[in-house]
Amino acid sequence: MNIPQDLKYTKTHEWVKIDGSNAKVGITDFAQHEITDIVHVELPEIGRQIKKEQPAAVIESVKSAFDIYTPLSGKIVEINNAVLESPEIVNQSPYENGYLFSIEFADIKELNDLLDADNYKKLI
Amino acid sequence: MEKLLNELSSSGVPSYNVKSDVEIDVQIPRNLKRNSALGLPVAAENDLLRHFTNLSRKNYALSTVFYPLGSCTMKYNPLINERIAKNEAFNFIHPYQPPESIQGILEIMYGLERDLCELSGMDCFSLQQAAGAQGEFAGLLIIAKYFKSIRQTRTKIIVPDSAHGTNPASAAFAGFEIVPLKSESNGSISPEKLKRILTPGVAAIMLTIPNTLGTFEKNIPEISKLAHENGSLLYYDGANLNAVMGIVRPGDMGFDVMHINLHKTFSTPHGGGGPGSGPIGVKAFLEPFLPVPRIEKKKSKFVLNYKKSESIGKLKAFFGNFPVILKAYIYIKALGAKGLKNVSEHAVLNANYMLARFKDKINVPAGGRCMHEFVLSPKSLFKNDVRTLDVAKRLLDYGYYAPTVYFPLIVEEAVMIEPTETESKETLDAFVDILTKIILEETGLEPQKLKEAPVNTSVRRLNEVEAARKPILRWK
Amino acid sequence: MNYTSRNQKDKNNMFRTIGINDINELFDVIPKYLRAKELNIAGGKTEQELISYFSNIASKNRILVSFRGAGIYDHYIPSLVGEIIGRSEFWTAYTPYQAEASQGTLQTIFEYQSLICALTGLDTSNASLYDGATAAAEAALLSLRVSGKSTILISQALHPEYIQTIKTYLENSRAKIVILNVSSNGTIEKSSVDAAVNDDIAAVIIQSPNYFGVVEDMQTLSSAAKRKNSLFVAVINPLSLGAFQAPGEYNADIAVGEGQVLGSAMSFGGATFGFMTVKKALEWKMPGRIVGQTVDKEGKRGFVLTLQSREQHIRREKATSNICTNASLNALAGCVFLSGWGDYGFKNLAEINISKARYTFNKIKSLEGFNAKFKNATFFNEFVIETQKDIKKLNKVLLKNNVLGPLDLSNMNESLKNCLLFCVTEQRTKSEIDSLVEILSKI
Repeated sequence: MNIPQDLKYTKTHEWVKIDGSNAKVGITDFAQHEITDIVHVELPEIGRQIKKEQPAAVIESVKSAFDIYTPLSGKIVEINNAVLESPEIVNQSPYENGYLFSIEFADIKELNDLLDADNYKKLI
Repeated sequence: MEKLLNELSSSGVPSYNVKSDVEIDVQIPRNLKRNSALGLPVAAENDLLRHFTNLSRKNYALSTVFYPLGSCTMKYNPLINERIAKNEAFNFIHPYQPPESIQGILEIMYGLERDLCELSGMDCFSLQQAAGAQGEFAGLLIIAKYFKSIRQTRTKIIVPDSAHGTNPASAAFAGFEIVPLKSESNGSISPEKLKRILTPGVAAIMLTIPNTLGTFEKNIPEISKLAHENGSLLYYDGANLNAVMGIVRPGDMGFDVMHINLHKTFSTPHGGGGPGSGPIGVKAFLEPFLPVPRIEKKKSKFVLNYKKSESIGKLKAFFGNFPVILKAYIYIKALGAKGLKNVSEHAVLNANYMLARFKDKINVPAGGRCMHEFVLSPKSLFKNDVRTLDVAKRLLDYGYYAPTVYFPLIVEEAVMIEPTETESKETLDAFVDILTKIILEETGLEPQKLKEAPVNTSVRRLNEVEAARKPILRWK
Repeated sequence: MNYTSRNQKDKNNMFRTIGINDINELFDVIPKYLRAKELNIAGGKTEQELISYFSNIASKNRILVSFRGAGIYDHYIPSLVGEIIGRSEFWTAYTPYQAEASQGTLQTIFEYQSLICALTGLDTSNASLYDGATAAAEAALLSLRVSGKSTILISQALHPEYIQTIKTYLENSRAKIVILNVSSNGTIEKSSVDAAVNDDIAAVIIQSPNYFGVVEDMQTLSSAAKRKNSLFVAVINPLSLGAFQAPGEYNADIAVGEGQVLGSAMSFGGATFGFMTVKKALEWKMPGRIVGQTVDKEGKRGFVLTLQSREQHIRREKATSNICTNASLNALAGCVFLSGWGDYGFKNLAEINISKARYTFNKIKSLEGFNAKFKNATFFNEFVIETQKDIKKLNKVLLKNNVLGPLDLSNMNESLKNCLLFCVTEQRTKSEIDSLVEILSKI
């Protein structure tokens, strides 16, 4: 299972990559594997204000649907249109091309609540 | 492979034709006129008849195979129902005909309402709802309206995690917040756990009895007491009513609102997914909230009463799916009280017989006895990466429709079997033999056969992932 | 009757296998004090007895020559329709959950979806809903869901039972319903949409031909709705689309309607089917089942239920709708109905409706005491006549002559007092129409 060292993680299997005042969010390799073949992705509207641990996106397989929670509070500043068109990218490249959205985070202290790679590894 | 309609020969003369005995006189202003082509097929009747007949033969249906689909009550659909329902005096009737010209229809609807009351122990029924899920929705709207009428704010509905998906969906549809209740491993409800979530904001608890694992909820008297002491109501999902007709009545168990699926318990056909009918029954104190119109008997005449100021209104246009209502009533008149009780006894007998033959070989989470259906969990027996889905597909090769699989969600790799009362011992035995063979022998010896299955159907296993990723939802 | 026939020998064997001596032991888990007393439900009739019993009841209904529509219509049903929906492989099958064993049902639904899309000119159809009224209500909910807005504008000339159904469906939501009033022409005017649309309007729902039979200027109304980015929902009579503009032509986002006219009997207003087509952008938000084309492992074409994660059996309380059972067999009737006309035949059918209705309209309005209510209206097969005659008496006389006369609109509102809604389909012959006119002339 691929768990990059430079990312932060949540217990609900999202990853976070900090880039200045923005954070990129996606689902982990473990999550995409558990979900199996992803057939549809719904992403939040750009500009939406959202609170930590609120559902922000939906990922669907043939027989199930999963809410994806934002790990940080803030404003959605960008979404990955490519995964709307070709949802299989999330299966193929969960940490790179298959990210979901970027959020301009509101409270840097929330970062402390996230897991590092080693702790996430223990979780799964 | 059967061609699509748009691929059939278009050189023929169209099948249908009508003529006018008045002069064609059409003046449509340009801005209202259709400009685009319709693109409808042009096919001769002979070709169309073959097309649709050939397609019908690609279906496994109750009239061709055993259909042990759990929670769907795929019982024999008596032909006499269909025959009587073809009567023109039931079909060529407009819904807005004056009551004096539809006394027969109203008599049937009134009669079915009365019989359903007697059977269920409820006080009043409405037949307007088009399906079970619409019955649930109507029942929940009634609950909401009732609490509004007594000025109580109750916004929550408790739904066990073993419930049909329509329960939480209907409750959400009716504006409620869903409080899930974790059921025990045999699907039953723990009164202790219930107490913990039974707050003053709970409007109702939705229960299915027998539950989706096929066990009777033996704590129901206590659950009913707890609910009512809390001022909450009890909702009965009648999907599994086929187990208890003439044996125990929802009304007597303390339920305040319920729905019935006429297309399950009362033998009306499923039609490949509908039409159904979802009558709702309520206790007398909820009668003012039922949908309009109500059918009433004034002296010896039947009338429609729309003057119910507290009614939740209309669930659909007109009065309900009449042919379904009629077929259910024919079924009841064919069986009567004794026959209906006999139905439930034999539905439960058949299920228990199958269960008895399975239980020493395959894990049954809910234990060794059941009501009208039961759930197997063969997970521990699976080898070579075989899954329940493969077992289901393999059954198709043996000429059976598959049981309900992966439901209820609380059982891993669930196989849910409901034989119904209309299957013979021979059929049940043959099915048990095959399913046992598949799970016990073939998963180990010939896993490839399961992975490859089905091979005897008109198509092999279909790619559902691509269907959803790149949807093609009509011909081009 | 008894459909559970089982000989005693088999039963005894089954008891032994289970380990019981008596069938009642199977119910031991149910407390004795809860058990039902003997029920009072008459029955136990044989087939023969059932036939005579129900023939007797049926004889209390009257089959009439119908000049009444208002949502349910007397149309010709070709023989093929009855033959196909009468095939037990279709009517005794369940929802096609096991796709490989349900290709008949699945392919016909795919064909149904294709035909409904062709008819309406929109991109995606579902597999059917209960009826026209619930389809309209689902369209309202769909609009609210995708837009995040909270108000629905509804034409006052939408079928009153559809309006009531939408109200019921929205009862416990936060959504508001605003009614657009009908003008003296019997239509919704652009100015009234203009005055009512604002940024909070999720959808504008307009029926055409409307409840009074009048064909609306959908192009203009649709543009007016789009001015504030509201969705435009067309409630349509599918048979009228042989002649009148299709929803796709006037940029509707959602088209819904009652499918009874496509091959289902009137049968007291149900069972029928509701249809819904939408623009592609809305397909993942649509309620109800959808069938898609795919391939099997050998590359052969086949069909499956798809986009299922929208539905209640997966999404539970977050589903797009609670619908499960729909109206599959009636939709199959619709599919068979639509497959045998060709464009020309279907257009001809619509034109016969228009012509017969016009013929009747012209005759009636020339009678003394009968006037056209909406002077310059374009109509399909229904029209409104205002009369000075005693309406109750008029319909009573017609009934005596085995005719189901026009619907009395007097109680709808003050402006429709003394108004009658007539319907004339291709089923009515010239002589039936002439004798209707004859009777009316003598009242």
